Amino acid sequence: MRAGTRTGLVALLLLWSLGPMLWQLYTSLRTPEALLAGAAGLGGGWTLANYGAVLGGDPPFWRYLLNSSVVGALSTLLTLALAIPCAYALSHRGGLLRWLVGGGLLAAAVFPYVLLFLALLQAARQLGLANNLLALCLPYAGLQLPLAVLLLQAAFAELPGELEESAVLEGFSLWQRLRWILLPLMGPAVVSTGLLVFLFSWNEFPIALTWISRSELLTLAPAMARIAGSSVYTVPYGAFAAATVLGSVPLLALLLLFQRQIVAGLTQGAIKG
Amino acid sequence: MTALPAPSAAATDAASADAASCLRLEGLGRRIGERVILTDIDLEVAAGECLALLGPSGCGKSTVLRVIAGLDPCDGGRILLAGRDITRQAPARRRVAMVFQSYALYPHLDVERNLTLGMELRGVAPEQRQRDLAAVLELLQLGDLRRRRPAQLSGGQRQRVALARALLRKPELMLLDEPMSNLDAQLREELRPQLRAILSGGRAPAMYVTHDQQEAMGIADRIAVLRQGRLQQCGSPRDLYHHPANLFVAGFIGRPQINLLPQADGTVVAVRPEHLQAMSGGGGLPVRVLSREWHGASQQLLLESAQGQLRWTCDGNQAIGDDLRLGWEPHHEHRFQQSSGRRC
Repeated sequence: MRAGTRTGLVALLLLWSLGPMLWQLYTSLRTPEALLAGAAGLGGGWTLANYGAVLGGDPPFWRYLLNSSVVGALSTLLTLALAIPCAYALSHRGGLLRWLVGGGLLAAAVFPYVLLFLALLQAARQLGLANNLLALCLPYAGLQLPLAVLLLQAAFAELPGELEESAVLEGFSLWQRLRWILLPLMGPAVVSTGLLVFLFSWNEFPIALTWISRSELLTLAPAMARIAGSSVYTVPYGAFAAATVLGSVPLLALLLLFQRQIVAGLTQGAIKG
Repeated sequence: MTALPAPSAAATDAASADAASCLRLEGLGRRIGERVILTDIDLEVAAGECLALLGPSGCGKSTVLRVIAGLDPCDGGRILLAGRDITRQAPARRRVAMVFQSYALYPHLDVERNLTLGMELRGVAPEQRQRDLAAVLELLQLGDLRRRRPAQLSGGQRQRVALARALLRKPELMLLDEPMSNLDAQLREELRPQLRAILSGGRAPAMYVTHDQQEAMGIADRIAVLRQGRLQQCGSPRDLYHHPANLFVAGFIGRPQINLLPQADGTVVAVRPEHLQAMSGGGGLPVRVLSREWHGASQQLLLESAQGQLRWTCDGNQAIGDDLRLGWEPHHEHRFQQSSGRRC
């Protein structure tokens, strides 16, 4: 492929994936009048008022960010804490059991969870978990567990068996092997699995909407829906766009923070040269 | 390989300590489902001795090591190490160190950490750790490499690190699974005496798996030949060469291969290529020279006879197509049953 063609294709891809985000950024910085005037008003009409409105709301927007961060972090930790032992055990099993459990996990991972939210709501009511921010972690971790186990199991299976056997003969306990040998080598897999779980709980809407009704406990997705539907007569494009931009900033920060792990191939040279 | 003679009063103590620190396999067996991997292996390795397990690939020699280490379960028989029955013990409690074919160094840790992590987690005191580390770095000349990661080491250096890690375990038994197979031929030959010195420097018995008979002969005090999970013969390299217990060992040990001459009575006569000699006069086996390879110190002739092709290591100036008569001294002749392969 010629260099020019390749650059063109990359530019097209970037535009395609970044375009909507850039559009939101643009929208968030425009006054309503400028937005309605369209491209004609490019010269003026820039404003930070949308951000002011969103951040100064009641409760202020950072509250939703905090709620979502807490739920996301706890769901991720809970999922990983459960998925790592499961994946380890599964990767050390052979034959029918592994096949059956793996198949079951796959089925659970691809099941459309939206079909479950009414049942989950019922469960939340019965167990008194409604309007409890931390309780959201339970369905989130549960729903993401199958995928996490599958991903981590593949990562465990990729590690050369002799590495762990060598540690066994050196006298390492199971916990020591995980802590010092296996998990450090699986860093990239653990981080990307964790990010997937975090992303899911950050974006999750139906469960958050139905389990939480008190506005100071809302997570980002239902909070944004409220902003969008706050007026019967107008759609507050600017405020909505500002909320979108603010809501993506923490995710971007996380991705940048873990960029190295996501890309890194730490196991290189693990075995032979 | 025996220890230095102990002072007279302590001699018997030392002898019994030697007997106690040996490895003994009694009727070791291993199967996976219906497939039998090892059958009834009986072996003994004395303290400070190095035994090589030799055999073609797939003969189960690596499995022997894995069963002894506890990485694979034992499906029959007993494993005794230093007087303890370790057959059902957890691998970590057996005090067995293993050097893997792949070396299995921890790729995310530098050389020093690879060596010290195990000691640290086993609770070795810091001063002791430093002392042992310094000693082993010195012994294996790893001092300059302590900050390197495994990926930054050559094959020979990785092997030394793996060996150092195994030594730091202070094992009661040292297992080595084809530790040289990833190295080039020249390096292998250089490292052989070094490895031999290190293994016999320790008190622990060592078991060394290889498919290379030269390596086995160069490193081991005794060699056990395995075929299809069965022990064929165990003895000194000399024993195996001069008194092979069966046809398989006779054919497996020695390059170029031993000459096999099937007889009318259902036996096979085997003679080493260097034991053939030209006969003057009427007697001997008539042969014709098919091809010739000159090796400097000797030459290899491929000969055609009425009983098949023969190899002869000699130093004459025979030409291709020459007709000769060959014989051998009676004590150089081995005779085996054709059907069972057993020595007559």
